[in-house]
Amino acid sequence: MMIVTMDDVSKAYKTTTILDKLSLGIKEGERVVLLGPSGCGKTTTLRLIAGFVAPDSGTVSIAGESVSRDGQIIKPPEERKVGMVFQDFALWPHLSVKENIEFGLKAKGIAKAKREEQVRKMLVVVDMDGYADRKPAELSGGQQQRTALARALALQPKLLLMDEPLFSLDQELNSRLRREIVLLQEKLGFTMLYVTHNRDEAFAIATRIVMMQKGRLEFDGSVAEAEYRLRQV
Amino acid sequence: MPQLQRQVFLGSIVVLLLIVGLLPLLSMLFKSMIIDGHFSLEAYRGLLASRHQWVLMRHSLALSSWVTLLTLLVGVPLGVILGKTDLPLRRTFAVLFVTPLLIPSYIVAVSWFDLLGSEGLLADLLGNPVAQMTNSFLFSLSGCVAVLFTIFLPIPMLLTMIFLRTIDPSLEEAGRLVSGWFGVLKGISIPLILPAVLLAAMLVFLLSFGEFSVPAYLRYDVFPVESFTQFSAFYHFQAATAAAVPLVAVTLLLLLAEALFLQEKTYPLRPSATIGRSMTIALGPYRKGVFVLITLLGFVIVILPIVVLLIESAGMDAYREALDRAGGSLLHSLYYAALGATLLTFVGFFVGYLIHHRTVRYWRMIDSVTIFLFALPGTVIGIGLISLWNTPWTNFVYATPMIIILGYLAKYTALTSRITAAQLAQISPSMEEAAQVAGAGWFRRMVLIVIPLSWRALLAGWIVGYLFSLRDTEITMLVYPPGYETLPVRIYTLMANGSPQLIAALCIIMISATLLPAALLWMLYHTMTTKEIK
Ligand SMILES: Nc1ncnc2c1ncn2[C@@H]1O[C@H](COP(=O)(O)OP(=O)(O)O)[C@@H](O)[C@H]1O
Ligand SMILES: [Mg+2]
Repeated sequence: MMIVTMDDVSKAYKTTTILDKLSLGIKEGERVVLLGPSGCGKTTTLRLIAGFVAPDSGTVSIAGESVSRDGQIIKPPEERKVGMVFQDFALWPHLSVKENIEFGLKAKGIAKAKREEQVRKMLVVVDMDGYADRKPAELSGGQQQRTALARALALQPKLLLMDEPLFSLDQELNSRLRREIVLLQEKLGFTMLYVTHNRDEAFAIATRIVMMQKGRLEFDGSVAEAEYRLRQV
Repeated sequence: MPQLQRQVFLGSIVVLLLIVGLLPLLSMLFKSMIIDGHFSLEAYRGLLASRHQWVLMRHSLALSSWVTLLTLLVGVPLGVILGKTDLPLRRTFAVLFVTPLLIPSYIVAVSWFDLLGSEGLLADLLGNPVAQMTNSFLFSLSGCVAVLFTIFLPIPMLLTMIFLRTIDPSLEEAGRLVSGWFGVLKGISIPLILPAVLLAAMLVFLLSFGEFSVPAYLRYDVFPVESFTQFSAFYHFQAATAAAVPLVAVTLLLLLAEALFLQEKTYPLRPSATIGRSMTIALGPYRKGVFVLITLLGFVIVILPIVVLLIESAGMDAYREALDRAGGSLLHSLYYAALGATLLTFVGFFVGYLIHHRTVRYWRMIDSVTIFLFALPGTVIGIGLISLWNTPWTNFVYATPMIIILGYLAKYTALTSRITAAQLAQISPSMEEAAQVAGAGWFRRMVLIVIPLSWRALLAGWIVGYLFSLRDTEITMLVYPPGYETLPVRIYTLMANGSPQLIAALCIIMISATLLPAALLWMLYHTMTTKEIK
């Protein structure tokens, strides 16, 4: 079953084309990495799927239902049930770790007892129990990253979007968190669209790699195929 | 239909703003063309035919041009010195120089009169011949320019300080590798903030152009004085409006020029990664000299006038009489200013949100409308409000303090909305987006994420709204219903027959009523900010 499909999606800002008739489908349980140089339109693709921007033409569907079409956002982000980890983490500085994670559960009107249980579970999953009452500013980079991940997963989204989530971390932490993200995905089974411009990171994480260049897809295949192709160039 | 909540709510705010701000002007324009029930341009014909009008226009233009030129020449370097160097007490100086802008402007004129006037302090000290000279200096174009210079100097100063901080420090760092500070300022920093400097120039020009109380007090004939006199002395509505129209026209023209030449030129703000980092100019051997110079300037244009008022009003009698005769007005002032500030903060917040997010098509128009209303002379807004609300069915507005509050809202929303928009620009958009993917609708995002993150803008907006409502003289003087006048209005009317001691005491009370709450709130703001950083 397709979690996300993009059909002939185009997007331009003023006269500059950012995405050019992009089509992409992601199946349940996949870990797709969108790989491409800076400025090629990766973030724009994620924001189209999340519903922050509307495609000029083409359709975006989530779980078989059109959510954006031809310049119109049919379903706003808050109704799409996707999780997202932002490049700058976007942790709310005035809320504690616990409150950050709890926010979406509250918005959904989940009862307090159930909320607390879910928060505790998420804290354990990302190995952050003991930090519940800290403010984001009191966390290290890696801890902020884990908190952002826990927050994105708290509502058990079918799809998790990640925009260069390890970009601002140092090399060692970067490698460790790659493994953690993969383990977490295998454990929880959500579908993942992961954006990066770093090849090593892409290979470490993906089950499928999509390469992008100037707003077009130019490769879509397994990790092994991607490695073969890159060796040829 | 997604986003419905948001569109409806923000739409109502826009409609409110249009009713409060633009409708009065339209009503005024319309009524000025109806004479005895017929369409007529008689009022305008009278205006164009009169040679006096052209004299007024020349006076107005001369006054505004001189004030603009001088405030820029002094204000921009002052802003650089206070915003970017290692001068001691920079913050204190900045606060000091802002003070004259916060009190009703004619009070500054009164204090200069008490110093330089024919019966002023200088006359006592240096004798009559000198005082005759200073007196005629004061009651002329030069006196008006000098007084308005001290009042509007903080505008270019503050804008320079604020915008210098938005420059990406690496741009200056790159310049410093190859040039001294003077070259960097001249070639990089100042050109980068040029839009802010021009904005300051435009604001000072328009505010001087619309200034009523200072030229009226110093008997220098300009357009707003004419309009006011026609209205309040002769109850001649058509003539008053006709005299107000050139004011509207000049305001519109300048704003249009700004829209055409400036808005495309604003540079992107610094990347958030560099916030907190900024380059400081070491004054080195010049530090002492600059310090003395700035102290001297601050003493002459801020401290001296206040000291003169204190000397003039010395003794308890003057203060007792002042409270006797104007205590009620003081309470009105505090009450309306607090109410005005609260509404301004609320409306300004959402207008600022709208401007920042461009959520409504024509968002730039909304921004321009608020700036237009801010730049428009208070006299014009006052006449407009009366024209709209003075009907048998709307006495609940016209005959109550509500009309005063509407005036504040019309004129000063630009301040709170710009403060909000500036704050929102500091907050990463992913803050709200993250709440959105977490499933929160618009109201929830506003209440739980955006508003808590913007508390600084809310508090700062309230303080600024309070100060500007409190100092307002022009609008209030025209619209206040009998028995509801504010302190600045009361002082202005008492000036006709009150003793100089009484007037000076009233001015000191007015200044205290402005500065004490402002200082308290500022301290609150300061402790809260430092606590948050910790
Ligand atoms: N809101 C916007 N307005 C104008 N141009 C934009 C906007 N968002 C992105 N772009 C441009 O679109 C291009 C692709 O951006 P993005 O999707 O962020 O690329 P990536 O994430 O691959 O680095 C860039 O050239 C960027 O400047
Ligand atoms: Mg990107």
